[in-house]
Amino acid sequence: MDAYKVLEIKQSVFDDNDQQADLLRTELKKEQTFLLNLMSSPGSGKTTTVLRTIEALQDEMTIGIMEADIDSDVDARTVAGTGTKVIQLHTGGMCHLDADMTRQGLLGLGTADIDFAILENVGNLVCPAEFDTGASKNAMILSVPEGDDKPLKYPLMFSIVDVLLINKIDAVDYFDFDFEAVKERVTKLNPGIKVIPISAKTGEGISEWADWLRTEVGSWNGI
Amino acid sequence: MHELGILMGAINTVENFAKKNGVTKIQTLVLQIGELSSMIPKYIEDCYPTAVEGTLLQETELKIEILPGNAICKSCNHVFNLIENEDTCPNCGTQDWEILCGKEFMIKEIIAC
Ligand SMILES: Nc1nc2c(ncn2[C@@H]2O[C@H](COP(=O)(O)OP(=O)(O)OP(=O)(O)O)[C@@H](O)[C@H]2O)c(=O)[nH]1
Ligand SMILES: [Mg+2]
Ligand SMILES: [Zn+2]
Ligand SMILES: [Zn+2]
Repeated sequence: MDAYKVLEIKQSVFDDNDQQADLLRTELKKEQTFLLNLMSSPGSGKTTTVLRTIEALQDEMTIGIMEADIDSDVDARTVAGTGTKVIQLHTGGMCHLDADMTRQGLLGLGTADIDFAILENVGNLVCPAEFDTGASKNAMILSVPEGDDKPLKYPLMFSIVDVLLINKIDAVDYFDFDFEAVKERVTKLNPGIKVIPISAKTGEGISEWADWLRTEVGSWNGI
Repeated sequence: MHELGILMGAINTVENFAKKNGVTKIQTLVLQIGELSSMIPKYIEDCYPTAVEGTLLQETELKIEILPGNAICKSCNHVFNLIENEDTCPNCGTQDWEILCGKEFMIKEIIAC
């Protein structure tokens, strides 16, 4: 019988993806395309917020949207109604997107003329937090009906995002949602985080969100 | 369950490593999973046969080592296991701590023959 040989690998499973993500980010920077990775639980209002964002910024920059879904194309159809360039990505059962899938999506979208691309990630607060997509900035939406305890339950997601949108503030009267508690919890996990309360339904707070994006897109694209 | 997709990525990394190092037959794959990671060892074991199907690792055995989820207390500097102590420092009773380890999902080694 042959002698067994132990070969040490000692590599984090996420290393490969992290390298791919860094490479993609460098390329996007060169191409002057700002990529926003938008994450949340299912139904928090990602698509509705995307529509509001298009409305607010389409006159100033060329926008492209990637809708990731496990299997449907409902969101892509909705966005296509605005006349904005949109592509549907199917993850084939996967609950998150990695840097490689994001690259495929960007290729499909064609980024040459796009200043600002938004990736609507799969609705899930766990795995998307572990996979760097190569985005310039990461954003998440927490909606009022989900409750103010989510930062305690999904700390990783809240600690990796640059901005937190608190959506559906128009419904605040119907839920016990403590804004100060959320802010305190997320700042503890992530001192640099920007928190913006919005209602994608009424449009409240969207101008502050658009301002934040305008600044970030501008500095990324070197304008 | 997201273990399958992530595991397939890991298997791919191992295959590339094996090719680079001229390994043609693997007997065992050893993974390390932190107690605080989103990967559940039981699910990993369940989807392992599917993940390795048609790969160089098809007939291999899977071994999983669990790494403890430890934190250091910000009030008294005590180091403790988060799961055993239900997220509360057993020394001073506060819940203000920083994670030291336990979020890993590592490919530790392969045993080749
Ligand atoms: N009241 C209220 N409802 C909202 C708001 N934003 C979104 N909704 C509603 O919430 C539901 C889900 O919104 P979507 O934008 O589809 O949410 P999503 O995160 O894209 O959902 P998935 O892609 O399925 O994960 C829809 O019925 C929206 O009309 C808001 O600010 N206020
Ligand atoms: Mg949607
Ligand atoms: Zn998952
Ligand atoms: Zn203590």
